[in-house]
Amino acid sequence: MSHQPVAVVGIGQTHHKKRRGDVSIAGLVREAAVRALEDANMDWGDIDAVVLGKAPDLFEGVMKPEMYLADALGAVNKPMFRVHTAGSVGGSTGIVGSHLVGSGRHKRVLSLAFEKQSEGNAQFALGGGKSGSIGAGGAFAPFIRAYIRRSGAPEDIGWRVAVKDRLNGAKNPYAHLKLADITIDKVRESPMMWDPLHFLESCPSSDGACAVIFTDEDGGKAASKPPAWVLATAMKSEPSTFAGRDPVSPQAAHDCSDEIYKAIGVTNPREQIDCAELYVPFSWYEPMWLEAHDIAAPGEGWKMTERGDTALDGSFPVNMSGGVLSSNPIGASGLLRFSEAALQVRGQAGEHQVGGAKLAIAQAYGANAQFFAMWAVGSSLDPLG
Amino acid sequence: MPDVVHESVFNLQFPFTRTLGSTLSTFFSALAQGQIIGVRTGGRVIAPPLEYDPDTAADSGTDYVKVGPKGTVSAWTWVPEPTHLHTIKNPFAFAFITLDGADTAMIHLVDAGSESAMKPGMRVEATFKPVDERVGRIDDILAFVPAADPAPSAGAGESWDAPAEPEISTQDSYCDLVYVDNTSASTLLWMESLLAGKLVGQKCPVCSRTFVGPRGMCCVDAIELDETNVVDVPDRGVITNFTVITPVQYPGQLETEPFARCSILLDGTDAVMAQQSILDIPADQVRVGMHVAAVWVPEAERDVSEIGNRGWGSGGDCISGWRHTGQPDEPEENYLERMM
Repeated sequence: MSHQPVAVVGIGQTHHKKRRGDVSIAGLVREAAVRALEDANMDWGDIDAVVLGKAPDLFEGVMKPEMYLADALGAVNKPMFRVHTAGSVGGSTGIVGSHLVGSGRHKRVLSLAFEKQSEGNAQFALGGGKSGSIGAGGAFAPFIRAYIRRSGAPEDIGWRVAVKDRLNGAKNPYAHLKLADITIDKVRESPMMWDPLHFLESCPSSDGACAVIFTDEDGGKAASKPPAWVLATAMKSEPSTFAGRDPVSPQAAHDCSDEIYKAIGVTNPREQIDCAELYVPFSWYEPMWLEAHDIAAPGEGWKMTERGDTALDGSFPVNMSGGVLSSNPIGASGLLRFSEAALQVRGQAGEHQVGGAKLAIAQAYGANAQFFAMWAVGSSLDPLG
Repeated sequence: MPDVVHESVFNLQFPFTRTLGSTLSTFFSALAQGQIIGVRTGGRVIAPPLEYDPDTAADSGTDYVKVGPKGTVSAWTWVPEPTHLHTIKNPFAFAFITLDGADTAMIHLVDAGSESAMKPGMRVEATFKPVDERVGRIDDILAFVPAADPAPSAGAGESWDAPAEPEISTQDSYCDLVYVDNTSASTLLWMESLLAGKLVGQKCPVCSRTFVGPRGMCCVDAIELDETNVVDVPDRGVITNFTVITPVQYPGQLETEPFARCSILLDGTDAVMAQQSILDIPADQVRVGMHVAAVWVPEAERDVSEIGNRGWGSGGDCISGWRHTGQPDEPEENYLERMM
């Protein structure tokens, strides 16, 4: 794919909360967008096109919100795009925005993703409006049960991830959950929600938005703050169910990271990549994605968690921001992962900064663990050079 | 046997809650007091106010002004036959009305008696619901009616002192949506088989995978499957995986106690039915490897009206669940790869 270099020069997010009762949907997305514009030292008029992503419209009951939000996001007389790829949508929204610059079509593009979960009910929406919704936890719990059985991982791995991500979240001023006093015991003793997942191993339900501004090589080099360079992007999908499909380690997940690694010349992701933001809405997905993205060998991902490798001060930090386990405005969750990877290589991640991060990956997944989006970002165009 | 339906009708209902944000909270709180307001921004007055300038996306600020209650119609469309969803029952117009003191038009109803009474430039005046019936919603204004006196509204354009904490900050938005699915040929095959008390699938001639219920396609080989690909499958199988769900309460949720949902590999096939319920044993005693058999609803009571084109494998109201057969369990290890 011949692409011009793309730089991330602006990142903004809202304070994520269970209910942002102080803002409308328009106010919520504008809060993130204004922060991104300020970060990029730009104004609304500098943006050439807007890309909007969110999860199913039934979550808020606002159909086609991209139309309602076009003027709130400064898209009057400009191209406005809507992206929807289930839970991976935040990642896809970032990727689409980056392609609009990389293809040479636009010079400055705003990608924005949001969810205002408090206006509706995700369990209702995921259950198609009927009783007995299993929700995302009910859909993924069997995959997690299978992973535990296959790998022989001890039961405390999930609890460790839950604690680690919340301690990271406590360092993130924008995180919804700030559980600085969380312990393994508290996770274990929290109610069982979707056996084998406890309440504290599950993501919260959040209102929030995230915005990213992309520009070209000249714009990136002229930016007032260090840019993050988008080194590679990939999206993969596969059917939801068929006999023989492996939803624990989906082929699409492997293909997605394979494409990224190949594009940037990574042959040993565990050593060459400095940190990763992976979509972990339920604790056990940390070791599952470490394996599905070939960062750990099959059956070995949980050992990285157990050794503390994935902690903020570990050898391969994962979910430095606190991850989906600390904030889950669903549609925005993928873009928050992508943004955190960019913040890390820009050196702008504050208390959750990984020292000297030059190459980071971010991933989001969705639906029946069947849609994947991933990017790699670097502090330079050749961070491995 | 009940007739198989060829359309599935669904009714989606949910009480969504809008948070209004500062600007719209101020507008609706004033409206409940019988005062329409706009906001002065970018050298003009926008009414109703927006929290941003729609031309530039700049923040529109808090310079609120009184507008109306009279205004001038610029364009309209006549609604000769109002439905139950309209707030007034007699024929009316939806019109662009530029309120006195405003530079932009708002859309509202004009109750003018007949279409011939509608004229560009006509002067109209807001009629409000009684104070105790107002809730801070746009239909607190019942409608606009031809103004008795076309003279400008008194006080229009004057500043409006907005309270720091507007009284109304949320709005109920009740969704009541009826939609019709044209039932697909493969869904009809499934409905007919369920009503007859048997399970069927479609077997792909290329990869030999069986899909239960029929989908009309093989998603691996991307080919169409039809009635010639239908195969009977047994209503017995083995649990390959499960979860026990603690129900989250939401409007329309009927479950109150934890319930199990299982994946069941049908005997002698490669087909797994997901999200099946298990009868007669506590949720915490469900095991991988258990032999189970479908429990059919009595023939006269079977109902397929809740089955849609995308609910692959849903037993509708024909299978009440699955029951342990009493056979010894199969080894759990045999099913680690068979969630699907």
